[in-house]
Amino acid sequence: MNHKAKILIVDDDAQISEMISEALMSKGYEISDAFDGKQAVAKVSAEKFDLVVMDIQMPVMDGITAMGEIKKIDPAIEVIIATGHGTMGTAVQSMRKGAFDYIHKPFEITELFTVVEKALAKRKFNDITKAIFSTIKSEELLRIVIDSVTGVLKADESLLVLLDKAERPYIAISDGLEDDQRKSSRLEVCGRVLKRLAADGFEPVVLIEDPSGDKRFADIKHLSDVQFAMMLPLMETGGLIGLININRSQPEEYFSENDLQKAKIFGSLVNLALKNANLYKQLQETQSQLIQAEKMSALGQLAGGLAHEINNPLSGILGLTQLVLETTPPGTQTHQDLTDIEKAVFRCKKIITSLLSFARQEKTQMEPVNISETIEETLVLCARQMELKHIKIVKRFGESLPLVNADFQQLMQVFLNLLTNAKDAMPDGGTITISTLPPSPDPDGRRMITVSFADTGAGIPREILDRVFDPFFTTKPAGKGTGLGLSVCLGILNRHNGTISAESEAGKGSVFTLRLPV
Amino acid sequence: MPKKILVVDDEEIVRNYVKRALASRGYEIAEAVNGASAITAAEKEEFDAVICDLKMPDLRGEEVIKKLKVLRPAAKIIVITGSVSNIANPIATGVEVEGFLIKPFGIGELREMLEKVI
Repeated sequence: MNHKAKILIVDDDAQISEMISEALMSKGYEISDAFDGKQAVAKVSAEKFDLVVMDIQMPVMDGITAMGEIKKIDPAIEVIIATGHGTMGTAVQSMRKGAFDYIHKPFEITELFTVVEKALAKRKFNDITKAIFSTIKSEELLRIVIDSVTGVLKADESLLVLLDKAERPYIAISDGLEDDQRKSSRLEVCGRVLKRLAADGFEPVVLIEDPSGDKRFADIKHLSDVQFAMMLPLMETGGLIGLININRSQPEEYFSENDLQKAKIFGSLVNLALKNANLYKQLQETQSQLIQAEKMSALGQLAGGLAHEINNPLSGILGLTQLVLETTPPGTQTHQDLTDIEKAVFRCKKIITSLLSFARQEKTQMEPVNISETIEETLVLCARQMELKHIKIVKRFGESLPLVNADFQQLMQVFLNLLTNAKDAMPDGGTITISTLPPSPDPDGRRMITVSFADTGAGIPREILDRVFDPFFTTKPAGKGTGLGLSVCLGILNRHNGTISAESEAGKGSVFTLRLPV
Repeated sequence: MPKKILVVDDEEIVRNYVKRALASRGYEIAEAVNGASAITAAEKEEFDAVICDLKMPDLRGEEVIKKLKVLRPAAKIIVITGSVSNIANPIATGVEVEGFLIKPFGIGELREMLEKVI
């Protein structure tokens, strides 16, 4: 909404029309005119206007009828009725039909300016509201919010501060703030306000006058240019998620009652829109999980058929190679070549076996399983390898975890895969931390226990993190991995109605988190 | 008297190496390229063991094995299959077999398995 507002003047009296036009043009508005209602309707249907200033009594079509037609074409347009013949009756009638306001002729130019400005402010506010609800991508939404809030509240700077997963505040978006020192001073103030709100409870608006003179913030540098700060806390179902901070830097330009009202409405709109965006995100996640599951199932069927087709010729290659090997003197090049072929066949066999275990569609054997015991059993299998690679295992098992309904063998396979991956990610040794957490509700209200495997390896680059569960995706050197380990894990977790997710930060290792229904 | 073995598989390359791996160990080998010819062969003569694929174009291996069991109850059956999920099948369908090998299998495994069952 940074374009010049466009206003249509409708009056059958050319002199009045010209007078209004000139006055408004001097204020920088873009003006167009019409001399009766019908012309006005035609203009509105041909181009976009923000505001119409219209006489009531006009030839061909009167102002009130024209307003009805105009609102049908563009419901968001604001109309100010100007009338010289007006009684309170016509004024009330025009308001009922949807006029923003009315002015009596003759009127003072300043009176006109005030009404026009108010109407345009409302229009702008409506536009923002519309924008907020027309976007469901949260980043886009937040950008709109911050860009417009500075303008609407006539502020010098505004910023959106959100809390990250560890509840640390960070600046998501800012407007009017280039300098890092000033940015970090604002962030510090917001962080302290958020901390207080988290402890004392939600307040719709927090106002701070001259924060640099306030003893709560006196130790923060680069804050002296903020005269008046307004904070709009943002809530989601889970609690406080951040705030919008709007600052004015001129003395005397305190936030008025009107500004506060606007800001409160704004804050609640943003809260609502954030909820929408969040719901949409959840929907998208569910969808992508579904697509992934479909992909897996189709691939599984394909893999099953493919494996059978490949195993026959492969069996021939293996058998014939071994037959020829039997009659080839050891130490010859032919003997060496045949041994290499034999090894290659065994590698193929291993790949196909993992492929099939990933594709296996048969019934999972469900029984009550103790997760901690299953992890311990798995650790017995790989303890020696871990020791050899100088890998320390740290166990953080939650106390008295309930049993989960699961296939013991398959869970062991998942744990073994994750442990092996973690080991391979730390060729020079490191630590694997295995944690279990008691049940907590998932978004659908199911009680899920959590098991996580965290390593101190190189981590997984962000750009490939969402591909690690794809079949045949591997970062291991050729011949070292089949690229099926994590797909198998995903398949198993799907069969258990559980989830598996990966988080990683370059240089800080990776965490694989499993959630299983109790 | 050499032991007589029937090799049933529609894949020539598999029959080829199985036959040669066993013949070199003194077994007498007969071949069948599908289920029907396996049954015909078993009707004509006695076998000590039948090495039988499960997935063939005409009859399901399970059906073939059931008929062989009726025809030649003394013959030992070794299933060879390329599909892991098929392993459970003979047992699930009530067919008892003496051994099974998953393709790809080597000649060593094959010889060991056969020696074990007969």
